Amino acid sequence: MRRVVITGTGSISALGNSMDELLNSIENRVCGTQQMPEWDKYKGLQSLVGAPVTLPDIKTIPRKMRRSMGRMSLLTVFAANEALKSAKIEHDAITNERYGCVAGSTMGSAEALNDTFETMLPDHDLSLLSSMSFFKCISHTVSMNLAHYLGITGCVMATSAACASSLQAMGTGFELIRYNKQDLVLCGGAEELHPTVTGSFDILFATSTKFNDNPENTPRPFDKNRDGLVCGEGAGILVLEELEHAKKRGAKILAEVVGYNTCGSGSHVSQPDREAMIQCMNSALMDASIKPEKIDFVSAHATATLQGDTEEAAAIFEVFGSKTPVNSLKGYIGHTLGASGAIELAASIEMMNKNTIYPTLNLDDVDDKCSMIYHVKTKLKKDIKFILKNCFAFGGINASIICKKYE
Amino acid sequence: MSDQIETMINEVFEESFEIEKEDLKPEANIFEDLGLDSLDVVDLVVALQKKFSVEIRTDERIKDIRTLEDLSKFIKELKSES
Repeated sequence: MRRVVITGTGSISALGNSMDELLNSIENRVCGTQQMPEWDKYKGLQSLVGAPVTLPDIKTIPRKMRRSMGRMSLLTVFAANEALKSAKIEHDAITNERYGCVAGSTMGSAEALNDTFETMLPDHDLSLLSSMSFFKCISHTVSMNLAHYLGITGCVMATSAACASSLQAMGTGFELIRYNKQDLVLCGGAEELHPTVTGSFDILFATSTKFNDNPENTPRPFDKNRDGLVCGEGAGILVLEELEHAKKRGAKILAEVVGYNTCGSGSHVSQPDREAMIQCMNSALMDASIKPEKIDFVSAHATATLQGDTEEAAAIFEVFGSKTPVNSLKGYIGHTLGASGAIELAASIEMMNKNTIYPTLNLDDVDDKCSMIYHVKTKLKKDIKFILKNCFAFGGINASIICKKYE
Repeated sequence: MSDQIETMINEVFEESFEIEKEDLKPEANIFEDLGLDSLDVVDLVVALQKKFSVEIRTDERIKDIRTLEDLSKFIKELKSES
């Protein structure tokens, strides 16, 4: 099997349009959650907070590339530009049948889907629909637009598994390179903040609703007073590359991907299942051929839902016991859903390389049901060699990935 | 009225296709000079329908339009027919 390394990272989130801005904000314990006053008009929507992105100037993307991009694809392009820059790869060097992209999202652009139906349904009239509606609404809009923008001619694939989408993309890219199908794959995902997206969690009572007047105090992963997730938006793209390919071009290697697993819970569409989580993490460890005690830091999925955090804490305890540090980044950037795996893995790799684990924001009082694991509550300096990142999605789709410091 | 139609057509090209005002000359070819393609034409039709409150999606005359001048003549014909 070939070895796979990460040579570039890029992100855009409520905490800025670059990895540096994201890490600086995390270092300074900034919460990206804001009030969303314009959501008042939606009857029944209880959660009026979100973690929105301030988009850079979209006209830097040529019109004919941009016209098919909904918000999530625009976000992806900005993250990909940063990832390629950090990997020191020029745009015009990416067109090669051995270079691909795998990027996912929960669904197509929520804004475009909404606009399409608002245009079409009042009079059941299709004549006012833009030619671009389809390209913005389709489930592979992120990977399709990224491939078009960069001129990618290798494997182009979309992973659509809600909150596990981008971690599945990472794992798929890892396997494509590992098994000699591709040499370089841009992997990641995106999601956009929209009242219909928050609403889909809100009607299931999974959103945070008690902090509409003090948004900076939510979400609260693992905390006794957590009351649900806060939807964020953003994109994360990582450059995965075969080790020798990276060395040959003199790339700076940020980490090595050593293990991955994705599995179904096979039990319930929304209720988290600790046994499936345990299986997922254990299978990733087996794939990496390492024992649990080798993992120095777990980046949890932990979205601050009552049940999800409890199940994940129990699963992490079962696999790692109480001595492996665990954090969740959702308190900083909200739940970026299909983007969360990639953004949080990129941030966790930075932490690994700085031998620093940042704390879970808004974790003031650990819930008794989550207290059996080692929560990082203040900045922790530690020699880190292996990290594990989890994503556990609605629909019972689980994914765990393991990265190793490259030395 | 005639100038107004041309101004409104130019607005469509500026707003929908980000074309600079100085490039919007009557003789400009919509495809070769202004860079529109077949997908843009679908959106051009949608934008013109909205702008002029007309129904042109299935009008065969659209296929013969090449320049901005052709387009303004077509819209004027439509307006005179209604």
